Amino acid sequence: MTKTAALRRKGSATLLLVVLLFLSGAGIVALKSAVDRIPRKKIPGASIIFIPSGKYLKYATFGYSSLAADLIYLWAIQYYTTYTIVDRFQNLEHIFSIIAELDPRYADPYEIGALIAVNEAKDLKLALKILDLGLEKNPDQWIFPFEAGHYAQRAGDYETARRYYEKTSKIPGAPEIAKRLYAAAVFKGMDLKESWDTWMEVYKTAKDERTRKIAGKHLYQVKSAADTKLLEEAVGRFKEKYNRLPGGLDELVSHGLLSSLPRDLDGKDYVYDPRTGKIQAPSVWWKR
Amino acid sequence: MKIKTIALNTFKEAIRDRILYLLFFFAAIALAFSRLLAVLTVGDRVKIIKDVGLASISIFGVLMAILIGTGLVYKEIDKKTIYTLLSKPIQRWQFLLGKFFGLVLTLFIMTLAMGVIFLAIVLLHTGKLEGRLLLAILFIFLELALITAVAILFSCFSTPILSSIFALSFYLIGHLSWGLETFILKTRSGAARFGIRALSAILPDLENFNFKTEIVQGLAIDPRFYLFSALYGMVYTLLILSLAIMVFNKRDFI
Repeated sequence: MTKTAALRRKGSATLLLVVLLFLSGAGIVALKSAVDRIPRKKIPGASIIFIPSGKYLKYATFGYSSLAADLIYLWAIQYYTTYTIVDRFQNLEHIFSIIAELDPRYADPYEIGALIAVNEAKDLKLALKILDLGLEKNPDQWIFPFEAGHYAQRAGDYETARRYYEKTSKIPGAPEIAKRLYAAAVFKGMDLKESWDTWMEVYKTAKDERTRKIAGKHLYQVKSAADTKLLEEAVGRFKEKYNRLPGGLDELVSHGLLSSLPRDLDGKDYVYDPRTGKIQAPSVWWKR
Repeated sequence: MKIKTIALNTFKEAIRDRILYLLFFFAAIALAFSRLLAVLTVGDRVKIIKDVGLASISIFGVLMAILIGTGLVYKEIDKKTIYTLLSKPIQRWQFLLGKFFGLVLTLFIMTLAMGVIFLAIVLLHTGKLEGRLLLAILFIFLELALITAVAILFSCFSTPILSSIFALSFYLIGHLSWGLETFILKTRSGAARFGIRALSAILPDLENFNFKTEIVQGLAIDPRFYLFSALYGMVYTLLILSLAIMVFNKRDFI
């Protein structure tokens, strides 16, 4: 065989290899896209049920537990924002408790986990559980009971909101608004005395005019609520005794049901409707 | 014929490797251990046996492919036996394909042996032979053939340790590349999305050979999926082997 023929043969072999490379490259791209187009059935929640508990996972991270927490958190955000996974909330608590075990001081996962639980999964109990876990691991962080109080208040559970706001205001560094929210939740729970005392404390210790003004308005609201309740009870007793509604609030005093008529914080009389027996404060508290 | 001779010699060489028996021993222990693990569960014991069994075949098979495959070509170069071989009328591609088929044959025997143990354990528990489990094992074997090609590719230009690391990385990337789909969905259309899409098309997707969960859970699989996955595996193996031949052709042994 001549040298030229050998070189030609070598060149053809290289060309054949290059062609084979291109063809197989194109082949894998085409086949990959064909395979990707065929949907695969999935077991509900299968992608996460096998993640072990955070306590055990911590050993498996070989000292990179903080990094593992970051990665699981990043993955969790993507997972919980994939709306096509209908049962994605099944293991919400499991996932966020894993992150909490891996990096207990990482605050964002507790907040986002609770946010997902309350807004997406519509599970207030779970949101509070995640935030409780956050507080348990970070007793110096007021944000967890603060958010828990906010979610409970939003759901109309004022007793729970009150408890959380109380916890918040006891943590050093908590914002002043926590005390105001506590007073508001207490008012909603109709503990008028405690609400009055708290708003009074806010009024007296206010560092700025705005806060004092807010407290003043709420004090008006609390007093009006207490007075309205007192007057309506007296009207009720009057009706029971005389089988009719009083013609005016003065009759409550003249018939001995009240020693005197209460007035609002501005010294104005309460507005009475003799047809319905309803009593209203003379001013709208928040417009005052 | 030359490829067959080299393949048979590679097979004889591979079955003399003590590491192969060590791995097979551990695989057999893992398969037997699945029976023990099943005792600890509450509920479906057979599921645990199937999960652990298939995972053991896959993991130990990959270890065999990588640990033996990465040393195949390197050993010939290191011991200088390659000079004797290439001085004979053997083309380099024939040598490489012979090595590949030799190791694939070894892995086939090993997978078969592990599969028999696994199926026997399942048979003892369920009293029946499940054909779909064989299908899962078949796709594990296809994956092993691809990993063997990758190990041989790296073995052509690198030391066994580095080749093992590279091949293992290929395996890990292959089983994690499905995550790129999430990036594609979350990225706005543009250059970045196109780049990720291109990367997703090029990178190996070894999840295409993973039917373990579906088969154990008894989920239906589209027959086209089997077909395209098998073709994908074969074409990817062909691509890697072509690359390996190209690299091996460029090497200067003189």
